Amino acid sequence: MLWTVLPMQALEGLVNHLMHLDPETPARLQKLNGRRVRVSLKELGKPFTVTVTETGLVLSWIDDGSVDCHIVTELAVLPELRDSANITRLIKADKLDIEGDPMLAQQLSKLLSDLDIDWPEQLSQRIGDVPAQVLVNAFERGRARLKTFQTDSQQWLGDVLVEEKQVLAAREQFIQFQNDLQALRAQLDKLERHLQEQRN
Amino acid sequence: MKDSKSDTIDFGYKQVAKNEKQSLVANVFNSVAQKYDIMNDVMSFGIHRIWKRYTIDCSGVRTGMKVLDIAGGTGDLTAQFSRRVGPTGEVVLADINQAMLDVGRDKLRNKGIVGNVDYVQANAEDLPFEDERFDIITIAFGLRNVTDKQKALESMFRVLKPGGRLLVLEFSKPVPPMLSQAYDFYSFNVLPKMGQLVAGDAESYQYLAESIRMHPDQDTLKSMMEQAGYERVTYDNLTGGIVALHRGFKF
Ligand SMILES: C[S@@+](CC[C@H](N)C(=O)[O-])C[C@H]1O[C@@H](n2cnc3c(N)ncnc32)[C@H](O)[C@@H]1O
Repeated sequence: MLWTVLPMQALEGLVNHLMHLDPETPARLQKLNGRRVRVSLKELGKPFTVTVTETGLVLSWIDDGSVDCHIVTELAVLPELRDSANITRLIKADKLDIEGDPMLAQQLSKLLSDLDIDWPEQLSQRIGDVPAQVLVNAFERGRARLKTFQTDSQQWLGDVLVEEKQVLAAREQFIQFQNDLQALRAQLDKLERHLQEQRN
Repeated sequence: MKDSKSDTIDFGYKQVAKNEKQSLVANVFNSVAQKYDIMNDVMSFGIHRIWKRYTIDCSGVRTGMKVLDIAGGTGDLTAQFSRRVGPTGEVVLADINQAMLDVGRDKLRNKGIVGNVDYVQANAEDLPFEDERFDIITIAFGLRNVTDKQKALESMFRVLKPGGRLLVLEFSKPVPPMLSQAYDFYSFNVLPKMGQLVAGDAESYQYLAESIRMHPDQDTLKSMMEQAGYERVTYDNLTGGIVALHRGFKF
């Protein structure tokens, strides 16, 4: 599949460019240097492979050499993987299969989610100090306004619930409820699996 | 071409004395060395980069490995290998032609690739390295130019470690008939004219087109590799077989 080379290379270039906007990246890469992860997504058919090198990530759809960790899952499940609490449930539900070192996958995704990019600095390098400052200020003002709005409405909601209506559940109750929900979810998964088996 | 007793050999479509071919090939690359990279892009519409990346992805390269890029020319493959083997690994860029090596060295230095790359002037038929030295050997668009290909395959086998692999990226025989015809037209009518335009040198590119036609096809090369001792030899046709990537292991 020669055609996969180009899009993978483009993606690789983009990812590495972004990663290197964070001065911490080389040190993080160093720690994972040489490690290899393969991801098979049901929707994509052929798996792709990520190799960490000292200078960045290498992405390939052609590479079929051995890896340290192989993740088999589907596209829709990917966002759920960010929370490690979901992993056992997903494995039990046959939505996820991990061969090899499961920590590695998480370390790799942290490599991207921990990125701390100094956007104002990057902007001013590209478009000059003054326009960058204007943009950044506008952005900050927008964010501050959003934040006030959020706290205001949260406070209002809290007031309404706690003081006026007295319906807000106590924290303990809420945690209990969460646990029940988790258990229910697991049962549901199990049930679904049973159904599936019977249907087959 | 395969008759080793006769003392003439093909140089493109011309027959020349065997000992003459090497210096003629050297001339071709001397005259194109400076503009070699631009021509590559122009002639292949940039696709040679994709073929090369495909080769790297198939090579199984890992940190710390020792790689030989023979007939490496201006070092496209070497540059990528250098990044992947890291400071604990080693890449040797070898070529018979000093002018190509010089261009390669300058190019890699400008890219900031230093430290783990060595430059060696060497003939693929008679490699000046000790036995079992390399984990990976690549020869990209180079075997075609070598006078005694079988001898070169054997020489590479000798310097390969057990468990190591050879990758041969080379022009080959297009599979679909339509493509084959279009390709012929391109090679013999368009290519030399482009060579004239960009590099001021139609003859070298005429040679290029002819040497591609004279090169062994996919299955012939595969059996030559097997004869040299490689095992599990396979090939992938790229872009309809205009180029093929052969792989073989030494066990
Ligand atoms: C078409 S270039 C390929 C360069 C590079 N591998 C690439 O893919 O861009 C072919 C190279 O093979 C070299 N060459 C020709 N005969 C050779 C031989 N017998 N031993 C080593 N190199 C040789 C030439 O000097 C030239 O640099």
